[in-house]
Amino acid sequence: MAAGGDNVVIKDGMREVVMPGNHLAAQAAVDCGCKFYGGYPITPSTEVMEYISDILPAVGGTCIQMEDEIGGIAAAIGASMSGVRAMTGTSGPGISLKAENLGLAQMAEVPLVVVNVMRGGPSTGLPTRVAQGDVAQAKNPSHGDYKSIALCAGTLAECYTETVRAFNLADRFMQPVFVLLDATLGLMHAKAILPTLEEVQAGIIPRKKFEGAPEDYKPYGVAQDEPAVLNPMFQGYRYHFTGLHHDAMGFPTEEIETCRKLIDRLFNKIDAHRDEIEHNEEFMVDDADILLIGYGSASLAIKEAVVRLRDEGIKAGMFRPITIWPSPEERMNELGQKFDKVLSIELNQGQYLEEIQRCMGRRDIQKLVKTNGRPFSPQDIIDKVKEVF
Amino acid sequence: MARQVLRFTGVGGQGVLLAGEIFASAKINQGGFGMKTATYTSQVRGGPTVVDIQLDDDEIWYPYAIDGQIDFMLSVADVSYQQFKLGVREGGTIVIEPNLVHPTEEDRKKWNIVEIPIITIAKEEVKLVLTQSVVALAIANTYQKLIDEKLLVDTMLSKVPERFHKPNILAYELGKKYAEEAMAAA
Repeated sequence: MAAGGDNVVIKDGMREVVMPGNHLAAQAAVDCGCKFYGGYPITPSTEVMEYISDILPAVGGTCIQMEDEIGGIAAAIGASMSGVRAMTGTSGPGISLKAENLGLAQMAEVPLVVVNVMRGGPSTGLPTRVAQGDVAQAKNPSHGDYKSIALCAGTLAECYTETVRAFNLADRFMQPVFVLLDATLGLMHAKAILPTLEEVQAGIIPRKKFEGAPEDYKPYGVAQDEPAVLNPMFQGYRYHFTGLHHDAMGFPTEEIETCRKLIDRLFNKIDAHRDEIEHNEEFMVDDADILLIGYGSASLAIKEAVVRLRDEGIKAGMFRPITIWPSPEERMNELGQKFDKVLSIELNQGQYLEEIQRCMGRRDIQKLVKTNGRPFSPQDIIDKVKEVF
Repeated sequence: MARQVLRFTGVGGQGVLLAGEIFASAKINQGGFGMKTATYTSQVRGGPTVVDIQLDDDEIWYPYAIDGQIDFMLSVADVSYQQFKLGVREGGTIVIEPNLVHPTEEDRKKWNIVEIPIITIAKEEVKLVLTQSVVALAIANTYQKLIDEKLLVDTMLSKVPERFHKPNILAYELGKKYAEEAMAAA
């Protein structure tokens, strides 16, 4: 079933559909070859699972509601080890429960897409309200050292395209990849312009596979800046699977150099290829005097505010990281040197602000934050700009 | 067209979400931009629900209605009427279900308050209470002249199982009739 069902219209080689963001994420998964979804429903992500439970079986896939959040991700990890593209979805409290298995997938290098339709917290917070409460969590959901990849959609179309990108990045770097949505994007219902199904499928980058003799197979014996090569289970290529520090075959080890090199490699495989992961939007930045930084659904209010501020003669522009983790370090550093006036805007207490300060090497970044479950209005942003600059 | 901003309010389970979805889809089918954004509480069933609908020929970025700029609101529950009425611009139209929503005299001076028994129409004349969202859809479109009627009805029918087409067509016709009568009486 292609995106939008009968309601899809082809215009200028693109698909025009009318769907909410949660459905678009589910549709993207199916369109780019996901064959397994394991999860447990939680507001405001429930529609991801509800929709994929309809459309995944229609293409020969499996959607299973497990006994809890932990079971959901554990099943998805197992499916991925058998060689298929797999996904789970949840919201912040669900990520808290999935944390241990996220660490396992990082350590054992199992590709997986995790859609997180964020809400606020801590704990159960405001389940139906909008927040960007899981930005810090997405960087380090589990204990230990590893590098997260987290993509943050800011438009309905990106709920689709970033999910497709997440699957490709998960298979390329052999690890979980977050797609961060929020209640506004997940539930809003409007037009989205999507690439054609053919284009999406042509862009699929299949997971690497070892083709040599089974006795030569060493899944973790790879270059220091490359991910493991995990062949699907039960096809004659044997390896050991563990969350413990492990050697080239996956067997537990405490050998000093092997342990050091393993964790170094989990970092290097991301750091050496940041250009393949980074993705940003710059809106009216070139001639701006004031830089507004925001992401996700907050950027919809920021864009509107930028246009209205310009109508009043105030030249603002917006920088929006779409790949939140790893952060766009170099570009933010350049922008920090170019702009004196920088305002960070987040639907949390400032979870990304410290990263912006680090990347820009300054502490004088202004902030506008909100944690009462309500969205920013463009006027909130206009008022703040006039107040602080 | 200039941007039209509508707000439908009720309580969870009444089906106010669907009317918004139909408006947004119909506007897009017509060739413009439509957006529906819903907000509800943790209570869900029985909790106040609000749906903002924006229709424009140009792209819409910000998905929520801005308080004070709403042209038309329809409300079928007092709890949500009281909570969201201030979003309607002065002189704007608010259609209420008179059996369930109780505006003050002040409210009647500030806004054009129209009483149409939306739920009673669905329950007693269509004999299917679920069709109240289509009665509401017809009332909103008759008042605001937003979308070509045939296109709106076709879009509505595309979202309704075929066996329910007949009662929903009746619900639309009744909503339109009551709205026209209210407009003529004003």
